[in-house]
Amino acid sequence: MTPAPFIEIDNLHFSRGDHDIFRGVNLRIPHGQVTAIMGPSGTGKTTLLKLIGGQLTPDRGRVLIDGQDVHRLSRKALFTLRKRMGMLFQSGALFSDLNVFENVAFPLRVHTDLPDAMIRDLVLMKLQAVGLRGARNLTPAELSGGMARRVALARAIALDPELVLYDEPFVGQDPISMGVLVQLIKRLNEALALTSVVVSHDIKETLSIADYLYLIADGQVVSEGTPDTFDNSEDPRVSQFVHGQPDGPVPFHYPAPGFYSDMLGQSHAKRTG
Amino acid sequence: MKRSKTMEFGVGLFMLAGIIGLVFLGLRVSGLSLSAPTQTFQLQANFSNIGGLKPRARVTMAGVTVGRVESIDLDTDWYDARVVLSLDSELEGQLSQDSTAAILTAGLLGEQYIGLSVGGSPEMLEDGGVIRDTQSALVLEELIQQFVSNMAGS
Amino acid sequence: MRSLLTQASRRITRFGRKGCETVEALGRAGTFLAQAGIGVPSSEGFSLWLRQMHFVGVLSLAIVLVSGLFIGMVLALQGYTILVDFGAEQALGQMVALSLLRELAPVVAALLFAGRAGSALTAEIGLMKATEQLTSMEMIGVDPLKRVVAPRLWAGFVALPILTVGFSVVGIYGGYLVGVEWLGVFEGSYWSNMQASVSFIVDVGNGMIKSLVFALVVTWIAVFQGYDLVPTSEGISRATTRTVVYSSLAVLGLDFVLTAVMFGGL
Repeated sequence: MTPAPFIEIDNLHFSRGDHDIFRGVNLRIPHGQVTAIMGPSGTGKTTLLKLIGGQLTPDRGRVLIDGQDVHRLSRKALFTLRKRMGMLFQSGALFSDLNVFENVAFPLRVHTDLPDAMIRDLVLMKLQAVGLRGARNLTPAELSGGMARRVALARAIALDPELVLYDEPFVGQDPISMGVLVQLIKRLNEALALTSVVVSHDIKETLSIADYLYLIADGQVVSEGTPDTFDNSEDPRVSQFVHGQPDGPVPFHYPAPGFYSDMLGQSHAKRTG
Repeated sequence: MKRSKTMEFGVGLFMLAGIIGLVFLGLRVSGLSLSAPTQTFQLQANFSNIGGLKPRARVTMAGVTVGRVESIDLDTDWYDARVVLSLDSELEGQLSQDSTAAILTAGLLGEQYIGLSVGGSPEMLEDGGVIRDTQSALVLEELIQQFVSNMAGS
Repeated sequence: MRSLLTQASRRITRFGRKGCETVEALGRAGTFLAQAGIGVPSSEGFSLWLRQMHFVGVLSLAIVLVSGLFIGMVLALQGYTILVDFGAEQALGQMVALSLLRELAPVVAALLFAGRAGSALTAEIGLMKATEQLTSMEMIGVDPLKRVVAPRLWAGFVALPILTVGFSVVGIYGGYLVGVEWLGVFEGSYWSNMQASVSFIVDVGNGMIKSLVFALVVTWIAVFQGYDLVPTSEGISRATTRTVVYSSLAVLGLDFVLTAVMFGGL
């Protein structure tokens, strides 16, 4: 029996200006597992996380988290729901006016009435979990990219959320900190019984931690499955992505008029004429 | 969040400086006085023409400011200007009935004010009294007109 | 002929779109102000406000005071050369004080404030937006309007009137230095002429009202531009420029309107 989905996305449509980003996305994200959403850059993976977090409103379709329609909630209920989520941003998004300790303490201070001593213990525990207890007095500007992301992770789990959203956790990391992050995500998911959603295009790392994967391209889910089925998939769209072939169903070229006519200037003349 | 003491101190000083500045503007620049408003009494004077006299203008005696113009309005019985003066209560009962009030100008282009001078009558003006002997403001056009008609006459 | 027509219609369309966008932005700015301004004051909020007071108020003090001193000195120098022709140099104090209190202090302090603090507010909030700090704050369940914008808005609203008072005081002192100490206007007439003609309610009071209005407008423009910008480095630089341009124009335009209402006998 499959566990009841924690997040359910039905027929999600979203567009920015004239550009359609999602055209009917359906996803089921089960409890207590690491679900990866993959796809080439520019397919709106970050946008999908923002839709799940309720920061953007879809044109059509709905997002249910634990049975609640995120975009129908009042502002207050939405903020309450967000206390149950943690999100790790691509840039870390640490508050630049607070030091590492205060960054991690921030969610605790605003959402709980815990005494200072207990907040201190909790923060140090979270920092210990990401291995940065010694860096508590540094400012975000003094941290390397990998360290900033680990601090951000500690902040994301400060309130012991049920759901953690990871936005491109592996981008721009050296192999060591990449390995550290992979380990951390895996370990935290097991230790805290989290539901994790990882948005990424780093195949190897994602395949190694995900329980289930979705591949998004062209505004739709083109494939889904466990890492094993993904690795051996016959689907040309999947194998292009997994094996990193430059051209295939996902075109190398950005949509453009024919090269020949473009070079001769005809289509240009037509457009302005 | 821990507040830094120096920052708090700085902001405190800043706001204090603002208040002190406002007090300075009040006392030193606009001439408000902290002491309770001085006791005043009122006299009335009718002028046939007040020129550019404004409410709050100074009332002086021998050049010393002794009060202010309280209000100016039109007396519809005589169609002249009724000016109410508030004077220092020290002068109450000290000004004789035949004191004169004249509208004067400070310098050639300065503001207009009222100059009082004392007469010799033994009877004194009390609160609400009326100064009979008044001298209107000099209006430049009238002066020129007089001058021209005098020239024409001679 | 037809191409001319299509070109014209395209221009009109673009013009219309611009209009719609402007109205939309004004609407956004309005709801933004309402959401940020109505905050429940808490001890946490006070501490954030204090921090911003330090940033926009205390740190702007030096530039405002130095400018005030120079403006007062120039006023006295210029005023003296004009007044002395009429033999009215005793009215120097009156002239310096009235021009400062009614006009120059509120306006120049607001312009300096827009350049010094307003642009910094825009850039700071813009950078927080570009580095996803505002988004992550929202995801933590904290409203950045209350946490980031409101303290800055209130700090600006309180700080600028204080800076304006400082500007006036220092400017009047600067006028005293030049007029009395240097040009030899009689000290007594400098102060007494001033006291005789300056009314606390009319002149100081109206100057303060102006300053409060400017404070609201400048800080509002600054934080809104920061909050609403396109989160790229170009977006931040444009928004910073817009803050200075818009708030300067707003201050000068509003100054005319307010002066007409207050002193124009309307």
